Amino acid sequence: MSSNPQIPNPHLQSSSSQSLNFGSKGLRHGSDSEGFSMSRRDLNDDDARLVYVNDPLTTNETFEFSGNSIRTGKYSVITFLPRNLFEQFHRVAYMYFLIIAILNQLPQLAVFGRGASILPLASVLFVTAVKDAYEDWRRHKSDKIENNRMASVLVDHRFQHKKWKDIQVGEVVKVSANETIPCDIVLLSTSDPTGVAYVQTINLDGESNLKTRYAKQETLSRVPEKDFINGLIRSEKPNRNIYGFQANMEIDGKRVSLGPSNIILRGCVIKNTDWTVGVVVYAGRETKAMLNNSGAPSKRSRLETHMNQEIMLLSFFLVTLCVIVSACAGVWLRRHQDELDIMQFYRRKDYSEGQVENYNYYGLGMEIFFSFLMSVIVFQIMIPISLYISMELVRVGQAYFMIRDDKMFDAASNTRFQCRALNINEDLGQIKYVFSDKTGTLTENKMEFQFASISGVDYSGEKTEFYGEQGGYSIQVNGEIWRPKIKVQVDPKLLKLSKTRDDSISSKEIYDFFLALAACNTIVPIVVNASNPNEKLVDYQGESPDEQALVYAAAAYGFMLIERTSGHIVIDIQGERQRFNVLGMHEFDSDRKRMSVILGYPDSTVKVFVKGADTSMFKIIDESLNVDVVRATEAHLHSYSSIGLRTLVVGMRALSVSEFDTWQTSYEIASTALMGRAGLLRKVAINLENNLNLLGASAIEDRLQKGVPEAIESLRKANIKVWVLTGDKQETAISIGYSSKLLTSKMSQIIINNNSKMSCKKSLEDALITSRNVINVTHASEDDASSVALIIDGTSLVYILDSELEEQLFELASKCAVVLCCRVAPLQKAGIVALIKKRTDDMSLAIGDGANDVSMIQMADVGVGISGQEGRQAVMASDFAMGQFRFLVPLLLVHGHWNYQRMAYMILYNFYRNALFVLVLFWYVLYTGFTLTTAITEWSSVLYSIIYTAIPTIVIGILDKDLGRKSLMTYPQLYGSGQRKESYNAKLFWVTMVDTLWQSVVAFFIPVLAYWKSDIDGSSLGDLWTLAVVFMVNIHLAMDVIRWTWISHASVWGSIIATCICVIIIDALPMLPGYWAIFNLAGSGLFWICLLGVLIASMIPRFVVKMFMQHCKPCDLQIAREAEKFRNSMEITRSGEIEMNLPHR
Amino acid sequence: MNCTLKRDADMNEVTNGASKSKRISKKPQYSRFTQQELPAWKPILTPGWVITSFLAIAFLFIPIGLVSLFASERVVEIVYRYDQDCVPEMYRGNVTAYIQNSLTNKTCIENITVPKRMDPPIFVYYQLDNFYQNHRRYVKSRSDKQLRSAAYEFSTKECEPEARLNKSRVSVPIVPCGLIAWSLFNDTYNLIMKDKVLDINKKGIAWKSDTKVKFGSNVYPKNFQSNDLIGGGKLNESIPLSEQEDLIVWMRTAALPTFRKLYGKINTSLEAHDTITVVLENNYNTYSFGGQKKLVLSTTSWIGGKNDFLGIAYLTVGGICLFMALNFILLYVFKPRPLGDPSYLSWNRKAVN
Repeated sequence: MSSNPQIPNPHLQSSSSQSLNFGSKGLRHGSDSEGFSMSRRDLNDDDARLVYVNDPLTTNETFEFSGNSIRTGKYSVITFLPRNLFEQFHRVAYMYFLIIAILNQLPQLAVFGRGASILPLASVLFVTAVKDAYEDWRRHKSDKIENNRMASVLVDHRFQHKKWKDIQVGEVVKVSANETIPCDIVLLSTSDPTGVAYVQTINLDGESNLKTRYAKQETLSRVPEKDFINGLIRSEKPNRNIYGFQANMEIDGKRVSLGPSNIILRGCVIKNTDWTVGVVVYAGRETKAMLNNSGAPSKRSRLETHMNQEIMLLSFFLVTLCVIVSACAGVWLRRHQDELDIMQFYRRKDYSEGQVENYNYYGLGMEIFFSFLMSVIVFQIMIPISLYISMELVRVGQAYFMIRDDKMFDAASNTRFQCRALNINEDLGQIKYVFSDKTGTLTENKMEFQFASISGVDYSGEKTEFYGEQGGYSIQVNGEIWRPKIKVQVDPKLLKLSKTRDDSISSKEIYDFFLALAACNTIVPIVVNASNPNEKLVDYQGESPDEQALVYAAAAYGFMLIERTSGHIVIDIQGERQRFNVLGMHEFDSDRKRMSVILGYPDSTVKVFVKGADTSMFKIIDESLNVDVVRATEAHLHSYSSIGLRTLVVGMRALSVSEFDTWQTSYEIASTALMGRAGLLRKVAINLENNLNLLGASAIEDRLQKGVPEAIESLRKANIKVWVLTGDKQETAISIGYSSKLLTSKMSQIIINNNSKMSCKKSLEDALITSRNVINVTHASEDDASSVALIIDGTSLVYILDSELEEQLFELASKCAVVLCCRVAPLQKAGIVALIKKRTDDMSLAIGDGANDVSMIQMADVGVGISGQEGRQAVMASDFAMGQFRFLVPLLLVHGHWNYQRMAYMILYNFYRNALFVLVLFWYVLYTGFTLTTAITEWSSVLYSIIYTAIPTIVIGILDKDLGRKSLMTYPQLYGSGQRKESYNAKLFWVTMVDTLWQSVVAFFIPVLAYWKSDIDGSSLGDLWTLAVVFMVNIHLAMDVIRWTWISHASVWGSIIATCICVIIIDALPMLPGYWAIFNLAGSGLFWICLLGVLIASMIPRFVVKMFMQHCKPCDLQIAREAEKFRNSMEITRSGEIEMNLPHR
Repeated sequence: MNCTLKRDADMNEVTNGASKSKRISKKPQYSRFTQQELPAWKPILTPGWVITSFLAIAFLFIPIGLVSLFASERVVEIVYRYDQDCVPEMYRGNVTAYIQNSLTNKTCIENITVPKRMDPPIFVYYQLDNFYQNHRRYVKSRSDKQLRSAAYEFSTKECEPEARLNKSRVSVPIVPCGLIAWSLFNDTYNLIMKDKVLDINKKGIAWKSDTKVKFGSNVYPKNFQSNDLIGGGKLNESIPLSEQEDLIVWMRTAALPTFRKLYGKINTSLEAHDTITVVLENNYNTYSFGGQKKLVLSTTSWIGGKNDFLGIAYLTVGGICLFMALNFILLYVFKPRPLGDPSYLSWNRKAVN
């Protein structure tokens, strides 16, 4: 009996036992979530992959499996050019450039020379291609290193060294300790006689704790060199679910099932195991690690969406301009139809050939059409295509500063801020809703065992600094002292009781309670060297911090888990080593919300230990046994959770022989089932877990992270609604709400806690009335501190979400200052985010740290991952990742605000800049017989958006700061400017366009009227316009720059100088018609007077309006800016700033 | 432990760093640049500055405006439109026939009176109205290469439709090619005052840069105006282009459809009420498209020719700025706002109300 049990998927049990965090691994373990459907699907031969163990030839006969060489590089030397171009032209912007350039190549339409027309596109393509090539080169380099690593592969009954890239599916590979797994392998045997291997998956999911993998009973004793393993593995097709695997193996005529605990994935590292041998099932790009290699889904920022609407408007303007020009051209041609032949400046006829033909004239209709196309070419930059590229550059710059911000560096985990999505930086400045996870996000997720309630007795007495004698519990093993790595404060009374062994009921119950804590988990003890050579430390490795805390607690009370293998555990109980057989284990799942383990005692009695969430546990407790104990325990649980502790209930039952046999049979059937294994196992578990004897309950503290209350306070002041979505119990959630200052005593709470749709509806209606009353009272009393908090639980949400009640919930929630959702499942979290996202235009941000937050993070407009205790899934799914919740404040209030202001201004400025130039060209066209001549040389037209005006806008977009960090942190309310879309909206767009129109009129007509009836030539006037427009746009920018650093000075004035130099160079080329124009021009006073007049006259309306608004209707930012400059001594409540910064300085 | 997830360099860095060396802190290096704390000048336009800048502009612009107006006033300009007067009565109905006929007598004599004393140098211009020298077909139709050097005689690609000539079945290049050169203005003026011919100096009317660099001294006109349709003046084939200043001036295409081109300079002064007899050859055809031709005699000033626009514009801008300065003074006096007063912040205002 003791020899055969296999622990099914123990590594998956993770958070198994915690009641509070029941959802935290839900995405991973929930049998119904999408990610798992692949691995849970039943295998039939058609879509299975057949792997013949140690027979790569047969396995790869059909050549359908990929080899183990990987290629993350996209291009090779030959394919680079075509593929890269192909990919680049996927962007609309580049297509537009290309079409314009192609149009321009038609001889009838050749507005620009060939070189000039291709230059903008070419330069953009070149820059992007260089960037891509560099990135690809780096990928190639690491591919090469990766492919040429050596592995030991079984060839001709001997393990030989082979390069990674030559490994094939079906081969048997041997991996030694601390080596990386080259491909996904199914374990055959390990150095451990029970077939256990410990792996570290940090490369895969970032989790640093060790996980256990098992070789199958049937193979673990074989030595591959001698004892030829001849088997066939049927596995599912390669997929990207790294937590699921389903296969079976036919060996020696037997069929055994393989699960995720039998496979080790590429990239994992073998630890604490001398060697492991496995057979390759997936190689190369088919490994799960490589399949997971795709980037985060790309989001588009709100600002960009709005911008695209305005770009549509600009396209409309463009078309209008073109229609005007072509219509006028048509009218002009029609009116002069008879004169065209001999008009000196038109001369339709070509006399050079014998036959007199029309030259370049295709009839009125075609001419109108051509002039339409030509005007599109001439006015092309009306659509600020370069803006997209500038925006990308600016975002890279902004990301650089966010990553480098030392105020967002988490010293504890040594992590910097991470920008994973590069295109939604500016969304951070417009957030209105923050959806936060609790565990690990608001709290540290460092669990500490606090209190215990055993058989209705509460041991929450005075805690001492006393850790038991000699600083904690320790045991003697082979002359060495072993002690737990982490010390736990103990209750002396309980410690004393736990040490006494008598036959009293209380002593037995304490014994069982701690035994349950020590045994009912998936923790693996790892013995590590301590500083003292005679001492060893026992490090409990496991995925669930709650379980770790419980095992450490048990150890502190003298129940020290010292060994766990697949079949048994060894617990040192008060110095006496005891071995228990682990006969079976039912993993945690989010339906049952509990886990259980079946222990065989040395005296061959069998007991089942269960631990889980109180709601799920009290249902299966045999209340008839002792009602008083149950009531007392419930009372204790309530008091624990009301001070914010996470609680678990532990129960136990002895199994009779017949019960055990029934269970064992069904357990074996279920665990080897090929179809619906998870469901069957769950059924078996439910049948077993009943009529339990209540042992007690534990309380674990999860402390708030540093700075959380202050951060929440700041966010609230910034008019951001903070919603906490947690899997915790209502009491725990509320108490955390109080300690994090989310809830205040002044708030009136509305609690919705229902079990049916009808009651939900009723309580929603009542709540709406209440909230209205409260808000009315609040308005009357002018006290904004009191407001409404809504507390709602997952059960009620089941009835509300996706039903007509959603609307009411939304209405209610939008009236509430705070919303706390407790007991919510991962998908419900996403549902709540969607509730807001669907109904409002407001931006939402979701922040979380665990796998259960992934769906919420992906649903929200902005997803932030906390790189914390619970692995990296949240980070992987997020757009931004950081170490601590409190960094959200600088991220939103400071960086978000800056990013938004910068980007919003940059977009408007780019619209203005390009439209101004186009309008100046347009006015001139009206004076050329509508023939699209440009006085400005074609080179200047092309360089305008590449050199003349490109750099300052990017530099200012990266560097300008409207307000200092201090002001923004002190007055979180300033964040409102982004929420109210103050820096970019339709009104501003139109104001900008009107201003542009005025400026273009000034820029064009002052020189025209000044030089009317003079002998000015086209090139000179063109140079004047070029300089005037470039000076204007730079001065316009300079007027809006708020902080002038040397870089801003250099870029703004530098680009003016660069323009002058370019104009001079262009005019110094004798092959161009405008040769020497600028020199002749600059010699005349009129030119300078004109230029000065244009610059001043164009800016005056802007200046007047700006100054007027600044004085009469100052925005908050303006006042804060003035305060920053003139009231340095102002009693800024510095507390905010200091508190936010101290902890990590 | 090479990371297999090579999703991005960042991720690589994180995992590698985490396991290889936990000790190495990844705390960003502090620098004023990365923390966005570079020393910066943060100008805020206080009321004082606003008023000062308006006043400064006003006090700069009004004098400039006055000076410009004054300079423009001092310029004496005689504009004489002759395109209609110079067509004999009998051809008034059919001007095109008159101008296209090479046999008709194009000489035309008119008297003009000098309104004010004109000091030398007096510039003689011809002014064309409604002549689109900036027309797209026209501006493009030239070969700067060909103009510059004899070696590029054959580069006439851009000159269509006036690029080549079929001379006994051989296609020969036209030098200078293109519509611009082809349409060279060819009216001539002779000015007679008190029975003495006024000397019009036609040397140095083109830009020096053009005569020296742009137009080659070894490029001689060839096959010019030999097509059936003659656009304008002919060129002396023995004089290099660099010395054909009329052509050079003409080929600096005008920016606007109403333009003047320098014809020559008079170096003697003209007294007020002097009568000048203009003997002109009215050759150039502007009649076919309703263009106007004018003869202009003008003195010059630092601001160029006679043009009041800039002066008026400067006075207007200056005046507006003065007005704005007054307005802002009143605004700041009657509706002052302390700078940076937190009580003006929107949320504080709300609380007060």
